[in-house]
Amino acid sequence: MNPTGSLCANNWARSSSLVPPGNGLQTNLSLDPSSFFGVGIETPFKEINQPSPTQCVIPGESKKDVKITDQETSKLQDWDPSAMLNNLSFLEEKIHQLQDVVHMIVNKKFQPFEQPRELVTQEQQLITADLTSIIVQLISTAGTSSGIQPQNNCENKLFDHSIQNDVPNKCEMEQNHNMEEHEHKDEEDMEEGENLPPGSYEILQLEKEEILAPHTHFCTICGKGFKRDANLRMHMRGHGDEYKTPAALAKPHKETGSEPKLIKRYSCPYGGCKRNKDHKKFQPLKTILCVKNHYKRTHCDKSYTCSRCHTKKFSVIADLKTHEKHCGKDKWLCSCGTTFSRKDKLFGHIALFQGHTPAIPLEENKGLAEPPDRCDAKENSTMVGSMNFCFGSNPSSENGIDNMMDVKGNIDDPINYFSSLNFEGCNFGAFNEFSQPPFEDSDSSFSFLMSGSFNYAPKSGGESCSDNL
Amino acid sequence: MNPTKPRCNFNSPSLFRSLTKPKSTQIQNINILFFIFIYLFIELMLSESVFCLLTEDLLIRILDRVNSDRKSLRLVCKEFHRVESTTRKTIRILRIEFLLGLLQKYCNIESLDLSVCPRIDDGAVSVLLSHGSVNWTRRIKRLVLSRATGLGYVGLEMLIRACPLLEAVDVSHCCGYGDREASALSCAVRLRELNMDKCLGVTDIGLAKIAVGCSKLESLSLKWCLEISDLGIDLLSKKCLELKFLDVSYLKVTSESLRSIASLLKLEVFIMVGCYLVDDVGLRFLEKGCPLLKAIDVSRCNCVSPSGLLSVISGHEGLEQMDARYCLSELSAPLINGLKNLNHLNIIRINGVRVSDFILQIIGTNCKSLVELGLSKCIGVTNMGIMQVVSGCGNLKTLDLTCCRSITDVAISTIANSCPNLACLKLESCDMVTEVGLYQLGLSCLMLEELDLTDCSGVNDIALKYISRCSELVRLKLGLCTNISDIGLAHIACNCTKLTELDLYRCVRIGDDGLAALATGCNKLTMLNLSYCNRMTDTGLKCISNLGELSDLELRAIPNITSIGIKAVAINCKRLANLDLKHCEKINDSGFWALAFYAQNLLQINMSYCNVSDHVLCLLMSNLKRLQDAKLVHLTNVTVQGLELALRSCCGRIKKVKLQSSLRFSISSEILETFNARGCKIRWD
Repeated sequence: MNPTGSLCANNWARSSSLVPPGNGLQTNLSLDPSSFFGVGIETPFKEINQPSPTQCVIPGESKKDVKITDQETSKLQDWDPSAMLNNLSFLEEKIHQLQDVVHMIVNKKFQPFEQPRELVTQEQQLITADLTSIIVQLISTAGTSSGIQPQNNCENKLFDHSIQNDVPNKCEMEQNHNMEEHEHKDEEDMEEGENLPPGSYEILQLEKEEILAPHTHFCTICGKGFKRDANLRMHMRGHGDEYKTPAALAKPHKETGSEPKLIKRYSCPYGGCKRNKDHKKFQPLKTILCVKNHYKRTHCDKSYTCSRCHTKKFSVIADLKTHEKHCGKDKWLCSCGTTFSRKDKLFGHIALFQGHTPAIPLEENKGLAEPPDRCDAKENSTMVGSMNFCFGSNPSSENGIDNMMDVKGNIDDPINYFSSLNFEGCNFGAFNEFSQPPFEDSDSSFSFLMSGSFNYAPKSGGESCSDNL
Repeated sequence: MNPTKPRCNFNSPSLFRSLTKPKSTQIQNINILFFIFIYLFIELMLSESVFCLLTEDLLIRILDRVNSDRKSLRLVCKEFHRVESTTRKTIRILRIEFLLGLLQKYCNIESLDLSVCPRIDDGAVSVLLSHGSVNWTRRIKRLVLSRATGLGYVGLEMLIRACPLLEAVDVSHCCGYGDREASALSCAVRLRELNMDKCLGVTDIGLAKIAVGCSKLESLSLKWCLEISDLGIDLLSKKCLELKFLDVSYLKVTSESLRSIASLLKLEVFIMVGCYLVDDVGLRFLEKGCPLLKAIDVSRCNCVSPSGLLSVISGHEGLEQMDARYCLSELSAPLINGLKNLNHLNIIRINGVRVSDFILQIIGTNCKSLVELGLSKCIGVTNMGIMQVVSGCGNLKTLDLTCCRSITDVAISTIANSCPNLACLKLESCDMVTEVGLYQLGLSCLMLEELDLTDCSGVNDIALKYISRCSELVRLKLGLCTNISDIGLAHIACNCTKLTELDLYRCVRIGDDGLAALATGCNKLTMLNLSYCNRMTDTGLKCISNLGELSDLELRAIPNITSIGIKAVAINCKRLANLDLKHCEKINDSGFWALAFYAQNLLQINMSYCNVSDHVLCLLMSNLKRLQDAKLVHLTNVTVQGLELALRSCCGRIKKVKLQSSLRFSISSEILETFNARGCKIRWD
């Protein structure tokens, strides 16, 4: 029984059915054997602990798999059959030794009281020492003759672990497999890497009402709505004993998991959106959650306002919560008005731009005298002039930030927003020098720009702005 | 600077004194002597100033030649005074009372030193800037604000903005300075030199301000700015590419900082004393970087090993100065081999390292141009090693052998014979050195200016007689030399007339006769330490009062001196700035009263354990306008109320006070807060 081999086989089968030829699998295999070991060495332990339920063990299949890998490797590298044969016979010998040792252990177990206890433990120690040395030899030999799945029935866990090193890209595929089941928050970004050919998946499009409905799972008895099916199932227990059976509580769709299903992708119902299936460069959304978040973020009003700064608005409540976690912690402030949550980010920013300096927060009141520059300005210029001057010299003042935030809230089109500011002649430091909006953390502002540029795109006529992507 | 009234009449002795100063008797001064002749001649004939006839141009030229003592020159006549006032470039203010007048008078000054001027605060600065009808700030290039703790960021910014040509600022030891002050400093865009030692509050933010604002910075000292980290240094190295001198001593920076610093292409001097987080990895960055590096100081960097130092050396064969004090336990063989390549090395200090004769031989044979060698507290320094190193390095001027206890007269003789140019020799705790070795020193090293014989019990009166042949001696330390007496001191007094510093700490056999000889012979003495010389009395102190240049006098624990002697010192030693009278229990109120009235230049005083009353203490503290540091521990006759009153009277002027810790909660918190707000530091003993 070789669970790892069959696992590999399973993955192999699935991935070959899903992924069209010419995909990443072959390139993975063409790596040289040494790197196989380098890659696989850390991950296997994790997988042994969480075997997926779909791992069905079919010995015959695993043999087939071995053949395939052998063929693959023989194609791709210099392979000496006689050396391989030597290695195999060596392995065989070692396995026999191992069998003997295990037999000894088994025999000892049945007659523990015939010998003095000390002698028994001594022998046991000897056996385990023998065992480990054989295993070490086995591993090293397996390393030299890569691609070989040693066929043995040893139930030793350690042995299994070490053998997993021979399964090169299994873990990667396992990860891919897990990813699809998993819920992702940033699925929109993740999708950029996915290159599914147009015909290979089924496109579903939810209606606007459906997307915006607060609950998707409703109790058939009382009509109560839930966001998650698991919660609904927990709720159902209250309606009677028939809902308390393990079968009723189990995930329903898992039963049909074995049969190959067509991949589902989703389209945004908003016309002209790049996520809409009629768009020229249509990019599908992966899950329903993606659809919901995308639709809310892009095509809905931002109704949630941060309770701390009262300026930032969000349409997805999770985004608000993430923001509120960090809001007010952006104590690192640049003279251009940009705030940072981390000091090193601020310093990176300052190093990047000419003339930007860190701003020192005003803790105490400047009771003694006005700063001299301000006095000069008042003497030399009219009231308006001095106002402007003060603005320029103190971009970090709360006033300035508030104004900017208002502007941002009112004007949807980012391009208009930038130009209108400049037009009004308010000189916010070196605003033109860089394209970042000066009121956000650099991390989030970057992502804001990315998502923002395509969020704003449809409103200003999708075609013209799609180039931003 | 004392205010001097311009004298209208002639004062030829004063002129003569100024022109026959030893330093000015050089070839170029022949024509000045010529002027004197004309001057004396015409004075006799016409009784009128010849300098009225000379153009200002010529007068300026004369003044340029006599730069050693412009002060006495100013007293000669009106013209000299006028020319001196217009051409003076530097000024150091001692009292705030005269500041405004002086600035108006010397309108062309380029360097203003306010480091010892009390009461410099924001208000004073704003008055200075608003009142002056003559714009004295327009030419200022250098501002020395060291220890100007009263000045806040508002005043600092006003001052800096008013000086458009400012190139150098010193704000060292302004412990309260932080980012706001750094921000004010960053207004000086032409700044090339900045000293921020011990500005304890400056963080990376402040440094970033300066780095961005003063991008022309060439010299920056950040010693003890403990809040600065790698981030700040990294930004500095990105913004200030002109840096030639950088001091990051005692900062909590890691090797990452050195990665950034290595990118400074013009850096010549890099000092990182006590950076205990920097290791060899950091030094390896320097191997490839800083192509112009000439001097490196890795003293007290505990994580640095010989291999790290070797990587710096192998990258910079033009290295001139290497300091590795107390950071290595011993020099490894590869490092010694690396030293062979450093042919330009002038200064090497490896204090505290285990050395061997072989290492010293390598240094001696390869570093031929060595000028200074520091082997203080090195283990394994033998006569043989010293002989080998000095035989190669004939140009040595400074040799530090402090605590090299195994060297004897043989080594000293060899040093004397091999290094005729020796100017400074430190032999503290070299017990085995006796008059035999010092005899040779007196014969050969006639250029010797500084000699440290502290705790050398082998030094006796005969040894002092031999040493006295070194007539150029300026600094002599004889502390704990218990075998010397008045006779030996008289030899020194007779021959070493250039002596300015003399340390006689615990020379218990020294008495009044020796001091009498000293007072007549060494009349240039500025620093004199007589602590624990318990045989001296008021007679000796009266002799000492004849030393007109005396500025530092330590008289700790001398039981026999009384108010009479102190009064003589207070009256006669006009320049007295530092006075230590701790444990002088016979001095009573009348002595302190004399100090309060006569010692007007007193800057620091230690009167712990003295018998002073409330009344006189208040008088002293309020009357001494320059006083900045007072140690007032265990004043048995002073009540808490008296002490409070005294503190109140000097508040705002004084910068440091030492008080008994038991009074911590008896003194009203209001006074303590006021002191704190004014930038005055209170130390509790």
